[in-house]
Amino acid sequence: MTITAAYPKTEATRARKPRRARRMLLWLVAPSLVLLLLINAYPLVYAALQSVRDGSLINAGDYVGLENYRATLTSPAFWRSVQFTLIFTVVGVFGSWLGGLGLALLLRTRIPGRTVFKTLLLLPWVVPVVVSSTAWNWLVATPQSPLPSLAEALGLGSPLFLADPVLAKITVCVFKVWISVPFMMMLVGAALAGVDGAVYEAAEVDGATRWQQFRHITLPMISRSTYISWILMTIFCVNDFPTIFLLTGGGPVDATTSLVVLSYRTVFQNFQVGPGVAIAFLMTASLVVVSVALYRQIRKAHV
Amino acid sequence: MNTNLSRRAFLGLGAAVGGGMLLSACGGGSASGGGDGGRLKFWDMPWGQANYTAAAKKLTEAYQPAGSLPKATYQGLQWANFSQTFSSAIASKTGPAVSTGGGFQAFQFADQGAIAYADNVVSQFRKDGTYDDFLPGQLDAMKTAKGYAAVPWQLDFRVWWYRKSLLDAAGVQVPTTWDELLTACRTLAGRKLFGFGTGAGAGNNLGSQGLHLMMLNNGGGLFNADGKVDVVTEANLEAMRFVQEMVKAKAVDPASVSYTTDNLITQWRNKKVAMGIHTAGLDTDTGETDGDLQVMSPLTGPGGAKAGLVFQNNIMMYADTPSQEGSEAFLSYYIRSMKTLWQQNVVAGLPVLKSIVALPEFQAQKAKAKIIAEWAPVAKTFAANSPTLFGGLASVDSSQPITQFAQTVLAGQDPKPALETLQKALEGIVK
Repeated sequence: MTITAAYPKTEATRARKPRRARRMLLWLVAPSLVLLLLINAYPLVYAALQSVRDGSLINAGDYVGLENYRATLTSPAFWRSVQFTLIFTVVGVFGSWLGGLGLALLLRTRIPGRTVFKTLLLLPWVVPVVVSSTAWNWLVATPQSPLPSLAEALGLGSPLFLADPVLAKITVCVFKVWISVPFMMMLVGAALAGVDGAVYEAAEVDGATRWQQFRHITLPMISRSTYISWILMTIFCVNDFPTIFLLTGGGPVDATTSLVVLSYRTVFQNFQVGPGVAIAFLMTASLVVVSVALYRQIRKAHV
Repeated sequence: MNTNLSRRAFLGLGAAVGGGMLLSACGGGSASGGGDGGRLKFWDMPWGQANYTAAAKKLTEAYQPAGSLPKATYQGLQWANFSQTFSSAIASKTGPAVSTGGGFQAFQFADQGAIAYADNVVSQFRKDGTYDDFLPGQLDAMKTAKGYAAVPWQLDFRVWWYRKSLLDAAGVQVPTTWDELLTACRTLAGRKLFGFGTGAGAGNNLGSQGLHLMMLNNGGGLFNADGKVDVVTEANLEAMRFVQEMVKAKAVDPASVSYTTDNLITQWRNKKVAMGIHTAGLDTDTGETDGDLQVMSPLTGPGGAKAGLVFQNNIMMYADTPSQEGSEAFLSYYIRSMKTLWQQNVVAGLPVLKSIVALPEFQAQKAKAKIIAEWAPVAKTFAANSPTLFGGLASVDSSQPITQFAQTVLAGQDPKPALETLQKALEGIVK
C-alpha cells in the first residue's frame, strides 16, 4: 500500500483544512516572495525595458520598440557568435561528459592511489579561472611557450594556438573541457555509486559483455543524472564569460566571441546597452528552450 | 524559558523582518552620492606601481579644506570593469564626488548629465597662475561647448621604443623616417627579431593604438575636422599598407594578434622585440631602466609630418556631490599638490604641469623626459582630426570594432576592406 493510498487527497480533506492556516502559510512565504521579486523580477523587468530603449548605462533613453532585436538578429556578428556558442557548448557539454564519465568509471575500479588521483583531478574545477587561464596563456601564447616549442621540436611547425582563428576556437573549447571534466566526474561518479552492483552480477551470469553492461545497464541507470548534468553544463557553457574572455578576449577577429562575450562587449565596450541586453535576452530564451527539452528527457528517463 | 510564541506574534515578527528587508533593499544606504559620512568621495585608478595607491591615498588624506568644506576620502579602484563600476555607482547615486578614470569618461558622462563642469576651477587657475603651468594645449583639450569636462593631471603617450643593444648588434641605425623603419625591420627580421613589437590580444589595446599612431603620423586619423568618423581615407590606407609591408617583412610577430600586455612585455624582456610602439612606461614595465630600452624621436612620415598619440588622463567632478564648492576646492588642491607623486616616482604617466616636468626627479628619467620634450609637441589626441574631445570616443577606444580591425591588419590582411568595415562599425557606435 502506498502512502498516497493511505492518505487520499479528497475534496473533503481540503475543505477541512482551516482557511486561517492557509492564510498563515501565505504570510509566511510572503517575505521570501517579496525578496525573490526584488532580487530576480525587478532586474529582469528593468533589463527587458532596457532592451527596447536606446539608453546608456546611466540613462534609460528613448523607447525604440523591437529595433534592438531587429538590429541584433540581422547582424552578421550575432550569427557568428551563435555559431561559436553552439560549437563551444556542444564540445563543452559532451567533451566534459565523456571525460567525466571515463574518469568516473576508471575511479570505480580499485586502482592504487585512487583518492589522491581523485583529489588531483578536481584541481581544474577548484582553481579560479583567472589562475588557470593565466597558466594556459603561459602554456600556449608565444612561440617560445611550452606547447608551441614542443610542436616545433616534433616538426609540426610553430602553431599559433591563440592567434590562428581555427586553433583559437579549438584551444578555448579544450580549455573549457579541461575545466569542466572534474564537475562531470563528480556528478557521474555520484550517479554510478547509486547503481546496485547486483545488477551487474546478474548481467554477468546472463553472459552480458562489458560493453553490453555499459550500454544497457550503466547508461540507462545514470540517464537522469546525465540529463541533469547536460542541462547544467549547457547553462554553464552558454553563460561562460571568463573562460573565453580571459584567454582570447573573443578574438582573434571575433573567432571566439560567444554570445555572452558579444553581449558584454556591446554593453560595456561599445556602450550600446539596448542591443547588448537584447542579445542577453535572446540567449536566455534559447537556454530556456534547451533546458525544457532536456528536462522532458529527464521525465522520460528510466530511474 | 518560555518558548511559546503565539501565531499572531510570529506573523508580526515575520512581517517586521520582511518589511525591514524590503526597506533596506529600497533604501539608498547611509552614504549619499558623492559623499561618505559628510566627506567627499575621491575614486582613483591604479596609475602606477604598487606604491602608487598608498601615495595617492596619503595625498588625499592630507587635504585640509578651508572653513566648513568637507574633507575627502580615498577609494582605489581596479581597471577591470571600471566602466560598470562608475556607471552603476552613478546610476544608483552612490558614486564619487571627484575621480580619475578612463581618458574619455568625463566626456561620456558629461553627455549624460552626470558631470559638474570645471569652469570655476579653471577660472581660479587663470587667476593664480596655475593655468600657465599646464603644458601647451593640454588644459584646453578638456574644453567642450558646455565647459571644461575635467582637468588633466597626467599624460599617457604611445611612442616608438627600441632596444639599443639589438640594433647595435644588427648594425642598424635608429630610424628617423618610415623608409628607414622598414629597412631596419628587414635587417632585424634576418636575425629573427621583430621590428614592430605589438599586441592585440585580450585586454591589450596597444595594437590598435599603434595602428592609430601610424595613421596620425601620415596625417590621417579616425575622425575628420567635423568630428565625424572618417576612416577610409588615402592617408589611413597608405599608413595601413605600410604596416602590411612590415607584416610581410616579418617585422610583426604572427602570434602578436593574441598577445596580452603581459605577453608583449615578456617578448620585450626576452629580447625578441627590437622596436615597437608602447606606453611611456615600457622600461619600468620590463624592469629595465639601465638605458638599453630607449625612446626614438618621432618618425617623419611619407608626407613629412611627425605625430604622436596622447591620452590626457583627467580628474573629473560629478554633479551628484555633497558640496560642489568642496569638490572644486579638493580638485584644485590635488592638482596643485600632485607634484609629490612624481617626486616619489610612483606614477607611470607623464606630468601635465611644467613645474613637475622641471623637477630633477623627473628629468632623471631620460626616456620620459625625452617624450615630453620631443613627442608632446607633435602629439595628437585620439579624436584627431576633430578639434575637440567628445563622449563618443569612450565607445571607440578598446571597442570591439577597433580591436577586430587591429587583429585583421596585424595578421597581414588587405587593409582596405578592414578600414571599410571599421568605418561602418564605428558609425554605428559613435553617436
